[in-house]
Amino acid sequence: MIIVDDVYKRYQTDHGPGKWVLKGVTLTIPPKVSVGLIGGNGAGKSTLLRIIGGVDQPNRGRIERRARVSWPMGFGGGLQGSLTGRQNAKFVCRIHGHENDLSERMACIQDFAELGDAFDEPVKTYSSGMRSRLQFGLSLAFDFDIYISDEVTGAGDAAFREKAAAAFKNLASQASLIMVSHGEGTLKKFCSAGIWLHDGKARWFNDIEDAIKAYRKTIPT
Amino acid sequence: MIMLSVWKALFLREAVSRLSTGRVAWLWLLFEPVFNVTYMLVLYTAIRVHSVGGIDTAIWLMGGMLAFFMFRRTATQVMYGISANQALFTYRQVKPVDSVLIRAGLEGFLMILVSLILFSGAALFGFDIIPADPLAVLEAFFGLWMIGLGFGLATSVAIELVPEVGKLIGFILRPLYMISGVLLPIGSVPQPYRDYLLLNPIAHGLEAVRLGFAPNYHAVQELSIPYIYAFAMATIFLGLALHKRFATRLVMQ
Repeated sequence: MIIVDDVYKRYQTDHGPGKWVLKGVTLTIPPKVSVGLIGGNGAGKSTLLRIIGGVDQPNRGRIERRARVSWPMGFGGGLQGSLTGRQNAKFVCRIHGHENDLSERMACIQDFAELGDAFDEPVKTYSSGMRSRLQFGLSLAFDFDIYISDEVTGAGDAAFREKAAAAFKNLASQASLIMVSHGEGTLKKFCSAGIWLHDGKARWFNDIEDAIKAYRKTIPT
Repeated sequence: MIMLSVWKALFLREAVSRLSTGRVAWLWLLFEPVFNVTYMLVLYTAIRVHSVGGIDTAIWLMGGMLAFFMFRRTATQVMYGISANQALFTYRQVKPVDSVLIRAGLEGFLMILVSLILFSGAALFGFDIIPADPLAVLEAFFGLWMIGLGFGLATSVAIELVPEVGKLIGFILRPLYMISGVLLPIGSVPQPYRDYLLLNPIAHGLEAVRLGFAPNYHAVQELSIPYIYAFAMATIFLGLALHKRFATRLVMQ
């Protein structure tokens, strides 16, 4: 369960504090419910994900995580460009306390990511799809209750998406997912509930379809 | 427990990126001090300076330079420790203070190795480089490392909060090479200017290293080891306090 209580967030810009991105977001994400975040560009989806993931701090309000929450998987986050995929993976295994079964976890990551020889090349040479594969593989190597994904499946090819979907089906009994995506198909496939972010506020929908409808209504035709 | 795994992982990661990114990255670690010592030695030999303060110029230069690099490399590595590791704060368990502490540890370790290699090299060329008082040398090196750590800790926070401070520190670090007595014996500076120069704890550190190598070295009388350590402790305390105070600001964007 994740409790988001009256969270306010704005970013520091070059000319003083910027506009409020989140203006009092209050939510409770129940256990074992996969949620999709919907909203226009700049609505604060990634911001909210980062705050839930504990990577960024709210200016006001608080977050309570009553589960093991993964780090937010997103574009390039958490990977050091100058190091190889293998070196990055080893680092992540180590900081999660898997020194003892390192080779086992590494095999699992390598197996999922299917990067071939590129696994030993620096991450900065990867395409965005390859990065996604690595990030996704990394997070699946650890047992989290909630996985946070910021468009991470978006860049992958069809085969990878199938694989990711299958992996999540497997996990569904023990883990859930909080994700941002602009692909409605992806959202419907992975999520049951939805959060619609609009004007710095969040609205909860028990059905992702309703959230998508609510979002669509605000788009001028 | 988690902290130890994080530290270990960070240390290995930093070591890999410091030693193996780019072609023969490790060679460049050695090259900078070797180059500096060699060309100054050639210069001093050309103007017939064979001894400084009663000891061989080579020992004087080498001890001083390595001691200075111990400070400067630690300081700059630690200073940029936060911005260089920004990607890693994606993982909640990695804190900015971890990454800078580990960088300081790695740099101290590498500088010890570099110094050992350089002194062994000098021994092969027939210089008498066995320190008379090895503990005193280590004590001074350690003090300089601590000043580097404290300086880096405080400035790493400062440049994250106010990026312009980075440029200012660049201005300060450059003349520090001159006024710390790497090339110019502090003892030869007339009063009252010598007292001003000796406010700088790094100058004390350099003199202490040389004195450790050769007890007959005419070090400045004001040389004070406690001053080095007091200064180091004060900056480390300040740096840690800043890291604690701005812990959330540093990971916030």
